[in-house]
Amino acid sequence: MGYANSDRGAAAPMAVKILIAGGFGVGKTTLVGAVSEVPPLRTEEYLTHASVGVDDLEGVSGKATTTVALDFGRITINKRLVLYLFGTPGQERFWFMWNDLVNGALGAVVLVDTRRLEVSFASIDFFESRGIPFVVGVNCFHGVRDRTQEEVRKALDLDPQVPLVLCDARDRAAGRDVLLALVDHLMAARSGTTPRPAV
Amino acid sequence: MRHWTEGFEDDDAEESLVRPYTITGGRTAPERDDLALITLVTTVSGSLAETGRGRLRMQPEHRAVFDLCKRPQAVAEIAAALNLPVSVTKILVGDLVESGHVRARPPLAFARAGGLPDMAILEAVRDGLREL
Ligand SMILES: Nc1nc2c(ncn2[C@@H]2O[C@H](COP(=O)(O)OP(=O)(O)OP(=O)(O)O)[C@@H](O)[C@H]2O)c(=O)[nH]1
Ligand SMILES: [Mg+2]
Repeated sequence: MGYANSDRGAAAPMAVKILIAGGFGVGKTTLVGAVSEVPPLRTEEYLTHASVGVDDLEGVSGKATTTVALDFGRITINKRLVLYLFGTPGQERFWFMWNDLVNGALGAVVLVDTRRLEVSFASIDFFESRGIPFVVGVNCFHGVRDRTQEEVRKALDLDPQVPLVLCDARDRAAGRDVLLALVDHLMAARSGTTPRPAV
Repeated sequence: MRHWTEGFEDDDAEESLVRPYTITGGRTAPERDDLALITLVTTVSGSLAETGRGRLRMQPEHRAVFDLCKRPQAVAEIAAALNLPVSVTKILVGDLVESGHVRARPPLAFARAGGLPDMAILEAVRDGLREL
């Protein structure tokens, strides 16, 4: 790499990301699209690449598909900082790229659908076990609050310090507020209001 | 910017597997492991003339990355724009970093390091989001 002009390099913007996680069909792509300044972009990665062993590949064989797709969006914060939002499905076939997905992440929003809370369990387990800060966004699919926040918390066995926010993934302002809830949560953790996430 | 539904209708899996690795000269894994999905890639202006006689034999895809990154782009954005898998994109970007045509800025690895981001970054993100 040419470091001769490192001052020019320093002027380049820096990227951070927020992961939008949760089970199948909970509204991840919808939320990314609602807040992104560009329509959600899609990128693919070969399942055969990286650390996927033969055994893992056998688990997903039977299908001709050898790639996994990721949706993401972009919010330009300012000249120095770009925020990327990555929709990250909880399925096992994505685990081979989790290190890259988590790299540079401020934290995560785990979306849940109150009618199918269980599809997001794996995502919550993942962030809890890795000590990655997250908030839970309850996607109110029908505008109906069919369960109280306490019921959802209890069903998810959520740590009391993890914020839980009601939202509509289709709505820009609601999506923004979920992201802001995560940032507030991170700031509180940073300033010691809540315990630092365990590592 | 390409919409995500564009170009994904005609997925002839067989063909799409062969072509990308032709671009990379048969290489299937990046030589550098420091390129992440959100590593920001910026074209070094003037480098085309400087290194035009240099070592890198530019494929059209190298040239496309070079042109695209005149405005800084994340590796994932380059992959989406060129409709190439992330691993192939990383190989191409790695070539261009080596040859001095682009500069790569890695993300700060908070979560992986188990740390929390700087307050200054959080405040900037908060202020930016509030303007949405
Ligand atoms: N009524 C309603 N529909 C929604 C809402 N959020 C998402 N949907 C719909 O639910 C379906 C699934 O949403 P997606 O955003 O594709 O969900 P996803 O989590 O990205 O799904 P996968 O990537 O397949 O796991 C789509 O048809 C959306 O239009 C919501 O808040 N209200
Ligand atoms: Mg999706």
